[in-house]
Amino acid sequence: MINKDVKKLLLKVQKPGRYVGGELNAVVKNKEDVDIRFAFCFPDTYEVGMSHLGMKILYSLFNSKDYIWCERVFAPWLDMEQLMIENNIPLYALESGDPITNFDFIGFTLQYELSFTNVLNMLKLANIPILSKDRKNLNQIVVAGGPCACNPEPIADFIDIFFIGEGEEVDLEVIDLYRKCKNENKTKAEFLRLASQIEGVYVPSLYDVTYNDDLTVKAYTPKENAPAVIHKRLMMDMDDCYYPDNFVVPMVEIVHDRAVEEIFRGCIRGCRFCQAGYLYRPVREKSSETIDLQCHKLCTNTGYDEVSLSSLSSSDYSQIVHLLDKLNKWSKDEKVSISLPSLRVDGFTDDIMNKIKTVRKSGLTFAPEAGSQRLRDVINKNVMEDELLETCSVAFNGGWTNVKLYFMIGLPTETMDDVAAIAQLGQNVVNEYYKCPNRPKGKSVNVTVSTSSFVPKPFTPFQWFGQNTIEELHNKQKHLKESITTKKITYNYHDADTSYLEAVFARGDRKLCKAMEKACEKGFHFDGWGDCFSLEKWLEVFKECNIDPDFYARRQRDFDEVLPWDHLDYGVTKEHLIRECQKAYKNTPTPHCRLKCSNCGAAKYKGGVCFEKRKNLV
Amino acid sequence: MKNARIWFKKQDECIYISHLDLNRCMLRALHKSSLPIWHTEGFNPHPFATFALPLSLGFAGENESMDIRLLDDDYPFEKIITDLNACLPKGIRAFKVTEPVMKPGDIAYADFKMLLSCDSVSNDMLLNICNELFNMDEILIDKKGKKGVKQVDLKPSLVKYTLERQIGGVELNITLPAGSTNNVNPNLILNALKKYYDLIVDADTTRLNIYNENFEEFK
Repeated sequence: MINKDVKKLLLKVQKPGRYVGGELNAVVKNKEDVDIRFAFCFPDTYEVGMSHLGMKILYSLFNSKDYIWCERVFAPWLDMEQLMIENNIPLYALESGDPITNFDFIGFTLQYELSFTNVLNMLKLANIPILSKDRKNLNQIVVAGGPCACNPEPIADFIDIFFIGEGEEVDLEVIDLYRKCKNENKTKAEFLRLASQIEGVYVPSLYDVTYNDDLTVKAYTPKENAPAVIHKRLMMDMDDCYYPDNFVVPMVEIVHDRAVEEIFRGCIRGCRFCQAGYLYRPVREKSSETIDLQCHKLCTNTGYDEVSLSSLSSSDYSQIVHLLDKLNKWSKDEKVSISLPSLRVDGFTDDIMNKIKTVRKSGLTFAPEAGSQRLRDVINKNVMEDELLETCSVAFNGGWTNVKLYFMIGLPTETMDDVAAIAQLGQNVVNEYYKCPNRPKGKSVNVTVSTSSFVPKPFTPFQWFGQNTIEELHNKQKHLKESITTKKITYNYHDADTSYLEAVFARGDRKLCKAMEKACEKGFHFDGWGDCFSLEKWLEVFKECNIDPDFYARRQRDFDEVLPWDHLDYGVTKEHLIRECQKAYKNTPTPHCRLKCSNCGAAKYKGGVCFEKRKNLV
Repeated sequence: MKNARIWFKKQDECIYISHLDLNRCMLRALHKSSLPIWHTEGFNPHPFATFALPLSLGFAGENESMDIRLLDDDYPFEKIITDLNACLPKGIRAFKVTEPVMKPGDIAYADFKMLLSCDSVSNDMLLNICNELFNMDEILIDKKGKKGVKQVDLKPSLVKYTLERQIGGVELNITLPAGSTNNVNPNLILNALKKYYDLIVDADTTRLNIYNENFEEFK
C-alpha cells in the first residue's frame, strides 16, 4: 500500500519499485485482526535485504501466526532518505505503508558490522528514540539477531533484546511473552526481566559491566536474576524445522534473484578465520527428500527458474550427488537450473559439474583463501594446490573459461612470500588452462583474483589476533599487484579502511556505544557502501569520544583476558579455540568433523554431525 | 503454434517498475503459470514474450499488450487470463487475449490522461498557464535520445488534446505520436512547464490506448 505522501516522492528517486511493496506473495493482513505488529528491518537497501534468506524464513514463519503481522522495512537509499526527511515522512513498512514508529516490535537482522549505523539511522528515521532507556513503554521493543549478535556490545545501549543463535523458536517465544505481558498490562521492565529467562535471549540492560585500569573488561554481572551465561538456541531437526514454501518475489532486480533452499546448517571444516563455521556448529543436514520437496514447491510458488542450494559449503552435503540426481528429475523438464554456491575446491567433481550445468551455466568461484600451503595450514583451509589445479582442469575441460579465486590478506603469520604465492597460484591456474586438451578452442582464460583484508572475529581461534595496520595491508596489496605478470589475471581488492572499522566493531565492547550514538547524530549511514564510508570521519568520532580504535582492532589479546562476548555461549568452548589458535601458530591443520572429532564442545547439543556414523569407523 | 496477444493493465505499485523489470516479472509469471508457451531455443532458454510498446516508469497503462506463442492451439484464451493473473503481482492484471492483428511496428499514436498538479500555483492558474503554453507558436525543449540531447519543437505534436479543471488538478487528455519512429513522451510537457514558467508540476499519467497511423485502435 502506498501512502499518498510517499507517492509524491516516488518519481523523484532512483528505482522507486523498492519503496512500494505490492510484490507477489507479500503478506497483507487487516491490522484490526492482529495483536502484534512486527517491523522486520534489514539495515541495508531493498536489493540486499530481499536477498537474505533468514528474513524470508522468519517473515513467513511470523506471518503463519494469525495474531502477528510481520512487515518488511529496508533502509531507503540516500535520495529517498533525503526526501523523506524533507517531507517529514517517517520510515514505513512496505506491506501497509504505515510508519513503524508505534509497532510492537522493531526487529533487525545483523549481518555485518558496518550496518550498525544503519540500524540506528533507521530508528531515527522512524522517529523512535535510539537509546533503549528512552523507550519507556511496552511497545517499540527493539530486537536484533543474526551473526553479529554474537558480539552485541557495541550496540548494547540501543537494543532491548538480542536473540542468540537461530531464531525460529526463540523469536516466537518472546513475541508470545510480549502478547501476554501486554494483556496483563505489565511494564517494559517486567517484560524484559521475564524475557531474559528464555534461553537464547540476551537483555543487555540487565548486565553491569566493569572494566580494568587498562580498559579491558573485568566482569559482566547479571542483575535481576538474568542468567550469567546466555546459551544460543538452535534447531536440531532440520527436516522438522519450519521452512517457507513461498518467497516474496520482488519486481525490481535484487542481488540474489532466485529461489534459495537451505540444505544444511553449520560447516564441518573449521577454517580458523571463519566465524560462521564456529557459530553454527554442529552441522545439521536436511534429508534429500525434504530438500527435494521444498525446492520443488518453492519454484512452483514463486516462478523462479533458478534455485540455489545454500549452505556454508554445499559440496560437503553428505549425499550431494544423490541429491542433484533427485532434483534433476524434475528441474530439467520444468526448465529450472540448480546452482551450488560455496563450492569447495575439493568438492567440484566431474559428476557434480555435469549435473549443475544441465540447464544453464553459472560462474565458477573458489576460495583458496591463502596463496601458500603453509598459510593454508595456519588457517586450516585444508585445500591442496594440486586439488585446485585438478578442479580447474575439470572445469576448463568442461568448457569454463572464467574462474574467480578469493583470498585474504593480513592473516596471522603471513609474510610477503605468502602474498606473492597468491599471484603464483593464479599463474598456475592460467598455466593449467593451456595444459587442458579439451579447453574451449580459440578462447583465452580469465582468472580473477580477489583479496579481502582479514578481520579477526569473535568465537574464532583468531579472536585474540591484532589486525594488520592499514599501511601493512596496502603494502601487501601492492606487493601482490606487482607479483602478477600476466594480463590473464585480473586483480581486485577490498578497501582496507572498511576492514579496519569492521575490526573495531567486531570485537568492540560497550564503550563503543558512545561513538555509535555520536555517529548517528552526525547522520552516518551506509558505512558498507563506498558512497558514504569515510574512515576519516569515523576517526574524528572516536577522537571526540576519547576512544582509541586501535585498542579494538590492532591489539593482540591474551588468552586470559575477559572478552566482551565471553558471557555468550555458542557451543564451542574457549579451550577448543585456544587449542586451535596454538595449532595455527604451529602450522598444524585440524581434520574436519567427519574425519575426526576435535572435541569443540558442540556435541553437547546431542545431534547433527557429532552423532553421524563416520565412514572410517564403520 | 499460435500467436496470442495478452492485454493487461499496469497500475498501483506496479507503475513504479521499469520496462526491464516488467519483462522479468512477466517471464517469471509465465514460468510459474506453466502455460504451454514456446521458449526461446538459445543458450538461455526462456519463455518468448514481446511487448508492443514499452511504458515509461511511473505511468499507469490501461491497454498494454504482450505477445507470446502458444504451443497448444486449442488452449482457451479465457484460461490464459486466469492462469496468468494467479501468478502476477496484483498491480498487473491481464484482462483480454486476442490473436494479433496489427504489428507493433504499426503503432503511431498513444492516448494519455494526465492529472497535473502544482504546489506553487492554484489549479485555475495552472489551467491558464497550460492553455498559454499549448498556444505558443513554438515549444522548444531538450529531448534526450540515444545520440545525446537534441532540441525538438513540441508544438506540432500538440494537436489533439483537452485541458480541464478537475478536483485535485488539471486534467489533460492528449494524443501524442508514439512508436519506434517518432515517440513523444508526455513528460516533455512537464519539462516545458519547467522551462517556460519555472513550475514544478507533478503528474499522474495513464496511457489509455494506442493506435496505428489511421487512428485505428491497436489490435
